[in-house]
Amino acid sequence: MTNYGMVIDQERCIGCHSCAVACKDENNVSMGQAWNRILTTGGENIDTPAGEYPVDGGDGTLSMQYQPTACQHCENAPCVKVCPVNATYTREDGIVEIDYDKCMGCRYCMAACPYNARVFNYDKPETTAPKGTGNVEQRERGVVEKCTFCSHRLDEGLDPACTIACPSSARIFGDLDDPDSAVSRYVKQYETTQLLEDLETDPNTYYIRGEMSPGRNHLGNEMESELDEPPKRRNAEPGVPATDGGEEQ
Amino acid sequence: MSKRDGVTRRSVLLSAGAAAGVLGIGGSNVLQSLSDDSEINDVERFLQENTVVHGYCSPNCRGHCPLDIHVRDGQIRKVEPAIPDREEFRRACTLGQTHLHRTYNPNRLKYPMKRSDWSPENPNPQGRGPDAEFERIEWSEALDYVAGEMDRIREEYSPESVYFELGSGGSGINGTVYSRLANLFGGTMMSWSIDINVGLGFRRITGAGYFNTPTNMRTDIKNADTILIWGGNVFRSRLNPDARFLLDAIEGGTKIVGIDPVYNQTTAKSDLWLPVKPGKDIHLVMGMIHTVLEEDLEDTEFLRERTLAPALVRTDTGALLKTGDVFPDGDDETPVAYDADAGQAVALEPETYGEYALRGTFEFGGHEVRTALTELEETASDYAPEDIEETIGVDADNVRQAVRWLATRGPGGVMTGLGVDRYVYGHVFGQAYAILLALTGDYGRSGCVTGGRFAGSGYRSDYGAVEGSPGTRRMQQKGILSALQGDADPPLKMMYTQSSNFVANQLPDRQQWIDSLSNLDLVAVADIHHTPTVQHADIVLPASHWTEREDITGAGEHPHAMYREPVHDPLWESKSDHWMIAELADRLGYGEHFERDRTTLLRKILEGEDRFTFEEIREKGTIHLETDEIIFTDEFNTPSGRLEIYDEDAPSEKGVSLELPVPLEDRTADDHELADEYPLLFMQGHSKWRIHSQWAENPMMREINPEPRIDINPQDAKERGIEDGEYVRVYNDRGEMIVKAKYNDAYRPGHVNTDQGWWGEHYIAGHHNNLTHTDVSETIENFAFYDTRVEIEPAPEDLDTSKYDDPTETDWIDQLQHGGDTA
Repeated sequence: MTNYGMVIDQERCIGCHSCAVACKDENNVSMGQAWNRILTTGGENIDTPAGEYPVDGGDGTLSMQYQPTACQHCENAPCVKVCPVNATYTREDGIVEIDYDKCMGCRYCMAACPYNARVFNYDKPETTAPKGTGNVEQRERGVVEKCTFCSHRLDEGLDPACTIACPSSARIFGDLDDPDSAVSRYVKQYETTQLLEDLETDPNTYYIRGEMSPGRNHLGNEMESELDEPPKRRNAEPGVPATDGGEEQ
Repeated sequence: MSKRDGVTRRSVLLSAGAAAGVLGIGGSNVLQSLSDDSEINDVERFLQENTVVHGYCSPNCRGHCPLDIHVRDGQIRKVEPAIPDREEFRRACTLGQTHLHRTYNPNRLKYPMKRSDWSPENPNPQGRGPDAEFERIEWSEALDYVAGEMDRIREEYSPESVYFELGSGGSGINGTVYSRLANLFGGTMMSWSIDINVGLGFRRITGAGYFNTPTNMRTDIKNADTILIWGGNVFRSRLNPDARFLLDAIEGGTKIVGIDPVYNQTTAKSDLWLPVKPGKDIHLVMGMIHTVLEEDLEDTEFLRERTLAPALVRTDTGALLKTGDVFPDGDDETPVAYDADAGQAVALEPETYGEYALRGTFEFGGHEVRTALTELEETASDYAPEDIEETIGVDADNVRQAVRWLATRGPGGVMTGLGVDRYVYGHVFGQAYAILLALTGDYGRSGCVTGGRFAGSGYRSDYGAVEGSPGTRRMQQKGILSALQGDADPPLKMMYTQSSNFVANQLPDRQQWIDSLSNLDLVAVADIHHTPTVQHADIVLPASHWTEREDITGAGEHPHAMYREPVHDPLWESKSDHWMIAELADRLGYGEHFERDRTTLLRKILEGEDRFTFEEIREKGTIHLETDEIIFTDEFNTPSGRLEIYDEDAPSEKGVSLELPVPLEDRTADDHELADEYPLLFMQGHSKWRIHSQWAENPMMREINPEPRIDINPQDAKERGIEDGEYVRVYNDRGEMIVKAKYNDAYRPGHVNTDQGWWGEHYIAGHHNNLTHTDVSETIENFAFYDTRVEIEPAPEDLDTSKYDDPTETDWIDQLQHGGDTA
């Protein structure tokens, strides 16, 4: 079985929003809508820290991190449970997807989603390019939409657009059911959390906080599972344990 | 099955969407080249139908990222970072991945236009500006006007009275061709007064540096053990497109010390943050130099072999002792050291180790002399970290900690941003930190970080000025301002601007520049978008977007040459700058020197390149060019061939001679005469939402970053009765701006920021560059944008803020001034 999941290394994320803009273009998301939002973990405003400026000259206690947030693709997805017409469903590969033809726009799923990951097309979608953008047909007015893990790209053996766009290699995508995949290894090796764990939604999206990981392990567009032999981005030096989360550790 | 059922319906929707797209708003025929929607998209086969075109990004961020432009049905559908010849340099930032939105932007200039009340006989300069009205004209008419005025002004005044202003908005061959015409014509061109401060200070010591300071290739960052990231939020700017290089270093154990008045993405990832007060960077380097010497952390072997540390300085004149002062057959150039083993003075040759005394006072040839290191040590003795703690705002123990990491953990150095550059005396910082790294021996090895400009490469070309061209009169931008104001002989009477939004937006004390245009009979502006400078034009020349031009460029900061294939014909009536220049050249009698066919021209430009052919680069998109990963491995490009930690040919500032660095300040000084009236220091950082003033109208960015704000510490705000999100008036003795306050604890009390690059029309009133000034140092004409003082108060009650009060998220795009609109 395949169970797709994503690890986002917040220690690597620089808050640049590349993943967010790539997502919009790839998925033909209307202006005014976002499937992938980069939240600041810190002060009240975007790009501001929590804490007070160290006027005493010390290193201080200010803190700021970024939390890219899209559909978490929960195993126990509240949105799936509430949909009265089964438009939102969980695929066999773990992706929570919406059948736009079935969606009647009741938005129960939006109320149910604790991650605010869904948007509703109140208006006719509009994009800068008159014929739309990216590789997915535009959704019409009156339906709910959200991140699909770029399932249309996965069909082609390609990683999601956000993962390719990230200049920090902070997004790692793969099969959580494969114990040797980078996502499985990182979840095991690094300090990872799922968002709002106490709600028991069991998301397939994991966040690394604490120790930084080596990130995505190759530069090509392919999914890791498409590679004959997943390359290690950094060669282990003699006497130094490999740091890509491999068996050596 | 429902998926298949949906195909037809959604396909119809897609094609209907073309007519109703955002670009259609505003009434102008913006879809002229985009309206072919007869083809029904097969939505099931989107990915297979894509063609991918070689592209690259080319604003003045120096990133020059190779891009894959995905095209379907003749239109760009998305942009992705391309995998270049040398794969590890795959890179692109947020902005580079939004070229779709720049290409199909409603703000594109669509037709040649003339200001309605301009004519050669009656230029009416007072008609320029926000209220100027334009009318659409034919290309031939527009070019006739420009060439006609160039001809007339050449006759009536001088060729030098024509100012060719080449901005930074489009690296490719357009600048080459433009300069070729300017040189043939004999006009005036500008030299930069921006980003050259720290680089030129550093150059005095190392013989290298101009725009910022050079360092090893990015691939070498991981080999550094300690990096002091100084005056630059590199994860927001220079290491945004390929942040992984620095992140991999951090993950691998490199210690990062963030040195910045502002807490930001970069300091957040640092092991230690030194929150230096704005403008006190030179004090801090002196504190570090003192620490190195006091704690005996200097690399004595390196100092003896590659620096002037052992050079003897005459105490009477301050000049270096020369072999001619000591030996009968000596000269007046070669410095002298004291060889402790031999017990005698010896010539100090480059790249030569000897048991030279590094410290001490001696007497030779009747002169009392001391080593340069002793001189330095004495100068730095006033700056013990504990003694300057209050001045610089940094804990002394943390300064010492940073120095110990730098000096003892292995190779490393200082990665510079462009922040310190923007203070009047930023050049002394360049001098000072170059010396600090000389003490720690951080030059010429793997893992050394000597600056912020990473090694890269470009293509070789012999194509440039035509032999026998009269050449141009060159003035630095500060001098250009005087010339525009009439203070030059011959005066400037017209300007032809390409890829530049300088005069109305990007230069300090903006109103002065705008006012100076009243002396010009013609302002012709060639640009892609309707910038604020276009609004001051008399003739508007719509340039094609980068995605519509066949082009080549060097990478600058990564080791590639790159090729760009046009995605489609230029939209509307826009044309490449190359086409415009060739047309002007025809009219001016220089036609024979300009190729008309773009591909022929590109081949010609690459004739001098022997490492690859035009066919190769056209096919591959990028060509890796072998480039040294490590710099400063050979004799330094200085008179002595060594790092000149003592600069005997030093300039003076404010009567202080700078053989050794001395902290100097302008408006940031605590006791500056303006400090009471304007207590806040005003920075204008480079944001991640724009490259200078480019991308300012990009809908993707404006959704996230809709309007200018001023970052202010809540304490400063509350003292002034200012709430978070409230409009405020920021002002000083030059001007004002009205922006929303943004509470931000990342800023030290007394320090505020509005990101640079916002256009005039984005402000409720005023402009950030109405507050900045054109004062420069005596040594280097470099604009000091951050060396600015302001005061802030709540905005007046009767403010019209309607442009941002509308809560709907994308309606602002309707309000954009459409490039082709004439009213």
